[in-house]
Amino acid sequence: MNTPDPRWERLAVAARQVRDGRDTAAPPGFATRVAAHAFARAEQPFSALFARFSWRALGFAALLAVVSVAANYSVISAFFSSSDDDSASIEIVNEIVNPS
Amino acid sequence: MPDETFDLAGCLERVRRRDQAAARELVEHLHPLVIRIVRAHLPRRVAEEDLSQEIFLKMFTRIEQYKGSVPFSHWVSRIAVTTCIDQLRAQKRRPEFRWADLSESEAGVLDSVLTSEHDVAPGAALAASELVHKLLDQLKPEDQLVVQLLDLEQKSIAEISEITGWKQSLVKVRAFRARRKLKKLFEELKRMEKS
Repeated sequence: MNTPDPRWERLAVAARQVRDGRDTAAPPGFATRVAAHAFARAEQPFSALFARFSWRALGFAALLAVVSVAANYSVISAFFSSSDDDSASIEIVNEIVNPS
Repeated sequence: MPDETFDLAGCLERVRRRDQAAARELVEHLHPLVIRIVRAHLPRRVAEEDLSQEIFLKMFTRIEQYKGSVPFSHWVSRIAVTTCIDQLRAQKRRPEFRWADLSESEAGVLDSVLTSEHDVAPGAALAASELVHKLLDQLKPEDQLVVQLLDLEQKSIAEISEITGWKQSLVKVRAFRARRKLKKLFEELKRMEKS
């Protein structure tokens, strides 16, 4: 390891003369707040986490369903409007299955 | 100073059994240790209470992982050090060190250090301390920490290794790199002063 630069060393010697006289004890209420916070975090049950994420998943799935219906609206509406016409239905199904 | 009579093992056992009073006692016992680390390595614009709270919350989250292979105070110190380094990394780096950014007393101290071989005047200790921290800000967070512990807190390489959890060889490499960077910085400052 290299020795410190003498200029840095002189500065460091002077800086070491400054004593930090601040109190190091925990401020009032700090320990209580931290302890309560730590245990509250740990006590969050698994079911609560599951509920939180499952609701998000449900919302996302619903959004996907709406988007896919909107994207295929013309095909779906054509299918339902001519549902009595078997040959047309077969044609639409054919179009979906064999797009070429 | 931490209370020598404090029953740490008993307190940890109670904390593991989710005793909130024991958790409070543990925070109060360790606060002086944690706050000293936080104050020495506090990033700009971060409140010391927020950072020390974050350190204690990490400690409680990981307390089941503590197996007793190192003293508990060292284990907590490492959490404190890594949290401070993460915070230092997260903050934007300070623009380059410039004479114009120094106060009159800081510029005076820097000038005397660059141009004379004499020690800094005792009355200029506070300005020297401010200047030291501005110079340290120019280093990488890990290097900053090593120099701070080595040159300002006068810890040994072995002690720094215990506090940080880094191997002694890594501490030496970081000290070498930091000192080289500081030397380069002094050369640049001298050149800037002349021009």
